[in-house]
Amino acid sequence: MRYLLRRVGFFLLTLWAALTLNFFLPHFMPGSPINTLRAQTKGRVSDAQLEQILTSFGYKPHENIFEQYIHYFGNMLTGNWGVSLGSSLGTPVSKLIGQALPWTLGLVGFTTVLAFLLGSLIGTIAAWRRGGIVDSVLPSVFVITSALPYFVVGLFLILFMTIDNTWLPSSGNYDTSIVPGFSPGFVGSIVKYAALPALTLLITSIGGWVLTMRNNMITTLAEDYIRMGRAKGLSDRKVMLNYAARNAFLPNLSGFAMSIGFVLTGAILVEKIFNYPGLGYQLYNAVNSIDYPMMQTLFMLFTVAVLGALLICDLVTVWLDPRTRAKG
Amino acid sequence: MRRSKSSLLAIAVSIGLAASACSSTKHTSDSSSGGSTAASSAGGASTGNASYKQGGSLTIANEQGQTWPCSFNPYNSSFNQESLGFIYEPLIYVNILQDAKETPMLASGYQWNADKTQITFTIRDGVKWSDGQPLTADDVAYTYNLMKQTPALDDYSLWSAAGLTSVTASGSQVTMTFKQNAQVYFYTFATLVGIIPKHVWSTGDAAAHPDTWTDPNPVGSGPYTVKCTPNNMEYKANADYWQPGKPYVSTLEYPAYLDNGPANQDLASGKAQWGSQFITGIKSFYLNKSQDNHTWSPPVLNVSVIPNLDPSHKATSQLGVRQAIAYAIDKAKVSAIGEDGQEPPANQTGVITPTFDKYNDAAAIAAAGYDKPDLTKAAADLATAGYSPSNPLNLTMISIQGYTDWDASIAVIKQDLKPLGINITESSLTNQTYFDKLYKGDFDLAYGSEPSAGPSPYTELRAWLHSANTAPLGQSAAAGNFERYKNPAVDSLLDQYATAGTEDQQVSLIKQVGAHMLQDLPIIPVTESADWFQYNTKNFGGWPTADNPYAQPAAFNYPDNEQVLLHLYYKPAQ
Repeated sequence: MRYLLRRVGFFLLTLWAALTLNFFLPHFMPGSPINTLRAQTKGRVSDAQLEQILTSFGYKPHENIFEQYIHYFGNMLTGNWGVSLGSSLGTPVSKLIGQALPWTLGLVGFTTVLAFLLGSLIGTIAAWRRGGIVDSVLPSVFVITSALPYFVVGLFLILFMTIDNTWLPSSGNYDTSIVPGFSPGFVGSIVKYAALPALTLLITSIGGWVLTMRNNMITTLAEDYIRMGRAKGLSDRKVMLNYAARNAFLPNLSGFAMSIGFVLTGAILVEKIFNYPGLGYQLYNAVNSIDYPMMQTLFMLFTVAVLGALLICDLVTVWLDPRTRAKG
Repeated sequence: MRRSKSSLLAIAVSIGLAASACSSTKHTSDSSSGGSTAASSAGGASTGNASYKQGGSLTIANEQGQTWPCSFNPYNSSFNQESLGFIYEPLIYVNILQDAKETPMLASGYQWNADKTQITFTIRDGVKWSDGQPLTADDVAYTYNLMKQTPALDDYSLWSAAGLTSVTASGSQVTMTFKQNAQVYFYTFATLVGIIPKHVWSTGDAAAHPDTWTDPNPVGSGPYTVKCTPNNMEYKANADYWQPGKPYVSTLEYPAYLDNGPANQDLASGKAQWGSQFITGIKSFYLNKSQDNHTWSPPVLNVSVIPNLDPSHKATSQLGVRQAIAYAIDKAKVSAIGEDGQEPPANQTGVITPTFDKYNDAAAIAAAGYDKPDLTKAAADLATAGYSPSNPLNLTMISIQGYTDWDASIAVIKQDLKPLGINITESSLTNQTYFDKLYKGDFDLAYGSEPSAGPSPYTELRAWLHSANTAPLGQSAAAGNFERYKNPAVDSLLDQYATAGTEDQQVSLIKQVGAHMLQDLPIIPVTESADWFQYNTKNFGGWPTADNPYAQPAAFNYPDNEQVLLHLYYKPAQ
């Protein structure tokens, strides 16, 4: 119980520190929302007027920064996130996030789960057939792919798949000439448009899962209970999956819990490169246009997601494995 | 194991059922493919053009860098390019490209008083809002008075800077009274302001917060009505539009392009027909793809080398250095290499040609020697400032990251200046940092332009040169005089222009300002920036061209976009 309280206390402290940084760092950036609006109004509107416009949307440049900080904190906690001050001036932040969230969850969430499952499976097989073809080729390939920066992979895919050959679309989330709805064409179009960004994320993230799984598996295979299972005459598949993989899987599982936390942050560069209108893309836009409310809310969500996932992961591990409990 | 298998099967079956139950894929253009609704053939109301049958679906490719916010409040300067021209209309349209030629829109005419402090508009009869209610002089007066009531709506500072004191309606007349001669503000209040319906804006959310209201289902008098999703805006022809039979094109698709790449791709493939962003290597990428692909980008502004004139910047505040730069830069080469030939070379008086030819003083430019590069003069002038190849001058020029055409232009400028002994280092900054430095005067040289043009060179030259638009170093000179130029003679010329009685006077005043540009070189114009425009003539006709420049052609240029929309027609329906 004491351990639990300590974990939760630590979570709250980290959350406060992160939220404070999230407030102050954007305010130290050069530029102001006024610049964005001035460019959008083609310089026809005077600065005083621009400030007046922004003020009507809740921009308070002259308020004491600590007062702003207090308001910010209250607003973050109450979910009163305000309206965008950037390129979508006046649109509620919650609406913008609501529009972007499904796309990020769909693309990055799905890819993360897929990479995890596929990676673990390949790792299992590679370790089971140690020295076989799978084991000698795939792990070394994955060492290379997991070391590649994902934006480089994305750019190469765009080059080969959309410019040299026009197999797949390189930009956007669906074909805008199709009326959205639950129709085969629309769903197909979503899948088609998600293919390249998903492939990029898959290529670069699968390697980690394969390597950890393989190494865990090899250690586990040396355990006595594996020999026991074989001696009992169980089928190879049963020993591999139910005896070895099941135990070797645990460290991967906690890694997975952590990576789920990072799903929300999207993959900023991937979304930018493929113009995929998810949260990462929104963050990029918000930073570009010094959209304080949008930036603050997104940073807050990312922080909560990552810290929350870590906390849950901590708690689950403690529950699963008594050895990780602290003494006393 | 068995259980999970059967549940998988159940899921598979249910997906299959759902897929078969759901409707078939619908395309946005399906609804309009029927095309030609019977068009009445009443002669075009005001323009006197030939009349066409309605039909067709046109796709606009204008990169936004974001999905559509689906807000159409015409006062919200973030979104008004989505509503002005399409849905909301001005009183009078003024064409910058045709010597400020006027086309009456919601006002059928107007009358100034003698000293131009009062203007009376006659509001057109028989105009209806898209909800069927008639448009009256009351609506017009309401539009302007709302700006007084809620200053955040007064985008162009009509009630403060322009000196507007009252707007009243009586019968079909609307009278606006100003503190002083207001002729230079005509473009602003008559052309840039969209008229809104009083009966919609005086109730509910709109009345409570007209400044932050999103106006999601706009009611306007313009040629189109809109249905919006974040990925695409679909405009449908307004059946009750006051110019009978118009607009000829039934549907406009306006997808949200997040990047130039896909927008340009759609233009090249013919999927989109109206383009408004820069295409690198336009010949091979776009023009050669089809004989129906065309481009025409009329210049409206200068892109200049901006020297910092503040005395604390020792080199750039010296006339000799600026003269050397101006003489050495081969503007034709910058235009050809840096801008792909799409932006013509500029001239040192800052008057855009051919757009404002009337004001151009070619003889004065030639007499000053700025009509072609002259390295001998450049070297001599640089020597007066104490620099030479043996004692080189090192300067940094700031520009905007990602503006690849500017990078290429600066590379040419760098080459031109190097033999003289001026070494330029380009510093590419993010948008925000660039403008921060530009406004606060934290640069030696900057590459840049003013954001918008007016109906004559006056608007741009005033922004560049009037000392009211500048500020001490460290403070924001966002109004346009970034270089910190101060010359009482120029100020007085520009002030005289605002009240000049005749056109000849105005031309003469601009030429005198041009003479100061040649003498003082406060800025060094290099190329003329253009509003990018590409168009496909396979299915659509009526585009503005160099021979018939009836409006500025870029899709984001309001209220010019409305004029283009009223001219376009769908060829297969004819």
